Amino acid sequence: MNALIGLGFVTLGLAASVLGAAGGVFALVTDRLYLLKTIRSWAMLVLVAAVGAFTVMEIALFQRDYSLAYVSKVGSDETPPLFNFAALWSSLEGSILLWALVLAGYLAAMVIKFRSRRDDRLLGWALVVMLVVCAFFFALMVGPANPFLTVEVPPGFNGPGPNVLLQNHILMAFHPPMLYLGYVGFTVPFAFAIAALITGRVGEGWLLETRRWTVAAWGFLTAGIVLGAWWSYEVLGWGGYWAWDPVENASLLPWLTGTAYLHSVMVQERRGMLRVWNLSLLCATFSLTILGTFLTRSGVVESVHAFSDGPIGAWLLGFFGLAAATSIGLIGWRGDRLRSPGAIDAPLSREASFLANNLLFGALAFVVLLGTVFPLVAEAWDGTRLTIGRPYFDSLGRPIGLAMLFLMATAPVLPWRKASTEVLSVRLFWPAMAAVASMALALVLGGRGVYPIVTFGLGGFAAGAAIRQVVLATRRQGWRGFLGRTNGGMIVHIGVVLLAVGLAASESYKSDRTVQLAVGESATIEGHEFTYLEAGADMNDRRLRVFALIEIDGADVYAPATTSFRQNGARPVPTPSVRSGFTEDVYLVLDEVPDPADDSIRLRVIIRPMVAWMWAGGALMAVGTVLALFPGRRRRGTEPVSAPVAVGAPAAGPPSGRNGSNGDDPAATGPTDRGAADSPSGDAAVPAGKDPVANG
Amino acid sequence: MRSSRIRRLGWIGLLVAALSLVVVAGVDDGGLETDAERVQRLSESYACPQCRGQSVAESNAAVAATIRQFISDQVTAGATDTEIRDDLLRAYDARILLNPPAEGITALVWVLPVVLVIVGAMGVAAAVTRNRGTTREPSDEDRRLVASAREGRG
Repeated sequence: MNALIGLGFVTLGLAASVLGAAGGVFALVTDRLYLLKTIRSWAMLVLVAAVGAFTVMEIALFQRDYSLAYVSKVGSDETPPLFNFAALWSSLEGSILLWALVLAGYLAAMVIKFRSRRDDRLLGWALVVMLVVCAFFFALMVGPANPFLTVEVPPGFNGPGPNVLLQNHILMAFHPPMLYLGYVGFTVPFAFAIAALITGRVGEGWLLETRRWTVAAWGFLTAGIVLGAWWSYEVLGWGGYWAWDPVENASLLPWLTGTAYLHSVMVQERRGMLRVWNLSLLCATFSLTILGTFLTRSGVVESVHAFSDGPIGAWLLGFFGLAAATSIGLIGWRGDRLRSPGAIDAPLSREASFLANNLLFGALAFVVLLGTVFPLVAEAWDGTRLTIGRPYFDSLGRPIGLAMLFLMATAPVLPWRKASTEVLSVRLFWPAMAAVASMALALVLGGRGVYPIVTFGLGGFAAGAAIRQVVLATRRQGWRGFLGRTNGGMIVHIGVVLLAVGLAASESYKSDRTVQLAVGESATIEGHEFTYLEAGADMNDRRLRVFALIEIDGADVYAPATTSFRQNGARPVPTPSVRSGFTEDVYLVLDEVPDPADDSIRLRVIIRPMVAWMWAGGALMAVGTVLALFPGRRRRGTEPVSAPVAVGAPAAGPPSGRNGSNGDDPAATGPTDRGAADSPSGDAAVPAGKDPVANG
Repeated sequence: MRSSRIRRLGWIGLLVAALSLVVVAGVDDGGLETDAERVQRLSESYACPQCRGQSVAESNAAVAATIRQFISDQVTAGATDTEIRDDLLRAYDARILLNPPAEGITALVWVLPVVLVIVGAMGVAAAVTRNRGTTREPSDEDRRLVASAREGRG
């Protein structure tokens, strides 16, 4: 019964997406714009279908309806409710279902948000793109990744439950949905970008429309990645948080290009430049989410995350090709309209620093992509089998990361257009003192090594610059100095610094020792005393947990354990126990099940300083993202002539969003201007060299 | 004028301080590598054959423990890094190296990023210096366009 209803919803979703997209294209191509309002109904139907399919699957999981192949794969009688709920996205088909649900949610949100502009072509095309992507994901569920296939099970059958590693920690209920909200969220600006290319309204209007959507998607993706690292640290028992595993890399890639976009888009909003580049970054971000799904879900790269293989590799690769080819084709086709109306005035300017930022993020994204796919390429090329791991990513990523920190310090204090060294020397003086102070402090506290000390120095530099901006803003505007994209962005920067400092310290000053301890015996490691008190076990119908009570420094007692799940046969998984602190984490793991015969355990003790700073940094990045979503202060207009101007605008009716914002920080324009349609024609027709902008 | 001179001196002081701190951090780096540190460093550069992504140093798997023990024994016996590497390559295959060797087609993973950064940096440099010396004052025509655009905003 569940299978039938679920399949009904999925089919409904596919039909509604296809019909909505086809109807939209028909209305747009034949210029019957009044028909566009029907898209709204189709979109709502897609949402109903996605919510319906999701609900049916959850009901089936809770009913333990093992006639569904998916439930018989990831469900079990013993799974507790929270992990049973999360079991929906613990394997391939359910992940696609979650993806479709999130996508349908974004689609419906778009329809509601822009309900007053039902016959706007730009919006019409954007909705069509959204529906096409929806259609693809529903087609996956009708075709190769059908979550509602049925299976014959014997009476009394009990499923294995989700992968044991996925039911060990509460974070599994939050990390994947966050990540998907981020991944899928980038579909919205992508849809607008494609719509802008199709309609030819490639000015800044679509950018302004999607600004908050992009920031929100970025925030979700950031939170999802940090939560994933935290989960890896708390659950997997290897003492690390980032393995450069293909799945991790797949989530990092769109984050890198998305971050590059969030920065370079400011140049376009302000100066009308970098249009092709920004469109390319958005298209790349979307395409990379699909490519990442292909890499991780097709089984092409084995990894600890690739819990399932499926026949959907070809589908995903095909869709990635379609997205990439469409993007490149459209950008090429609209090339004449995308010419920049301005130029960068000086190497020492905000614009130039954003370009440098993009170079670094692009380079890091390239390194991560190359390191992930090169083993596949090499194997296909001449059968070479090789691994690319942490040393590779570290040695190329470190210099790029340090350069990023340096830019984070200098770029925010640089004025637009052109800066003098005098301005820089005044504005960067206090941040530079913070840099030297943090290096000195690190040395006094015992930190050594060039790479970590330079990281702390540049971290202090960047944090100093960000704090300076926040202090200036709050002095001018009071508590509103925390709001808006610029100010929220600075809070994000401080979070990034915390993360970078925690990363450098915990990687550089790690100690990893394994000791053999008998009951009552103590060992001293790095100045801490570890005493093995006793072993114990607790058991329920789901798992057997054997733990060892370890007293640290004669005070707190921790219980690292090994857990054997019924479903997993005999193989136990280590369950670490972590004492987290402001300065250092003490991470205890049992490498093997305590042997009751000889009363002794092999205890692995990993001590890493400042790990908690990374989680704090991630949290601060999330807070900063939320602050950035609030409207900022309306700024005093700058000299109008120095603002970018759409030459065609006076003759062409409604002014573009870019004009409306007076060329100043568009965060300042507030919600009222955002609805302004940019003029369908002429927006981009600024002849090169005719631009009044270019004067230093 | 006076304050800017003081600031310049301040900058020089900061720069000198920063450089000397880095030098101290680099030179006073715990002296020669101990055997335990060497085992750790070597373990971090080999992949655990059964658990993709994790190094021999990080993994809890039995095979990782075996290789850790092998490295430790070899270090104690005074083997060089290259000897240990050759032994491990014989016992397993090239996939055990976490750091891809810069030879053959694999050299591309090292060369391509460097080439990209150089080309990209040249592109950025060209973009930011292109416009130097060609700036001009806004003309009356420019101002009129801006004014009409601003009016059109309503």
